[in-house]
Amino acid sequence: MTGITTHVLDITTGRPLSGLQIELYDVATEPPTLLNKTRTNPDGRTDTPILPAASARTGQFELRFHVGDHFKAADGLSDVVPVRFAIFDAAQHYHVPMLCSPWFFSTYRGS
Amino acid sequence: MANDDLLQPARRQFALSGLALGAAALLPSVAAAQTPAGPAQASGPIVLHGVSPRLTVHALDTFHGSAATGLRIDFSKLEGESYKLIRTVTANANGRSDEPLLIGESYQAGDYEVLLHVDEYFAAKGAKLPAPPFLSKVPVRIRVANIAERIHLPIQFGPWSYTYSRGS
Repeated sequence: MTGITTHVLDITTGRPLSGLQIELYDVATEPPTLLNKTRTNPDGRTDTPILPAASARTGQFELRFHVGDHFKAADGLSDVVPVRFAIFDAAQHYHVPMLCSPWFFSTYRGS
Repeated sequence: MANDDLLQPARRQFALSGLALGAAALLPSVAAAQTPAGPAQASGPIVLHGVSPRLTVHALDTFHGSAATGLRIDFSKLEGESYKLIRTVTANANGRSDEPLLIGESYQAGDYEVLLHVDEYFAAKGAKLPAPPFLSKVPVRIRVANIAERIHLPIQFGPWSYTYSRGS
């Protein structure tokens, strides 16, 4: 498998975060180019890879997680969380999860 | 401003125990405890509890288990549609900026970006990473909503991951 996938988990509930708006941008362009816009499903994933295998290529990408709209915490630390990363080998799969609460955000290259 | 601080002890940021930050420097036993830190720590913990409203940052390198000394950080504020650079700081021996990113009059509500130059940081450390690396410039975007409360922003990062949170 190639392309980009994500998985959003709410660490305040220990559950997948469903219905979260996520966008994927190509940030090598100025301004960034919107490649996909979707919402997480009940498993906290997107129904199809946010960058499908057919579109896999090297480049600079950015996922944007609209956590503020979801948590609606008046003192939430972040509104939209960008995760900017490179695909340096298009033959590899890039799984980029987001573990979050209104005041904690963690991401990593997963598998 | 200090007098004003002391008159409002109920507010989170003005707890008198926060004066420990200054008091600690006067206590030899505390100073001694901070000295023999292991290789991962540049110095002992810095206590911010009770200090006046401000935005502070602390960057830690989880790859080397150390403070992110030398990390370049661009600090910007959202103005209209884009982030406007306020200033660039370099993480000190403790992984912090020498001065708070915002304090006093400069601590205003708004959306801010702390951009970490992790690519040049790990390149300087000689880390063997793909080119381009998975993480290059890491934007951490935060919102200051209530200027009566300070925000401490700890960021732990490696070449393949990062975590940030509201600290204390």
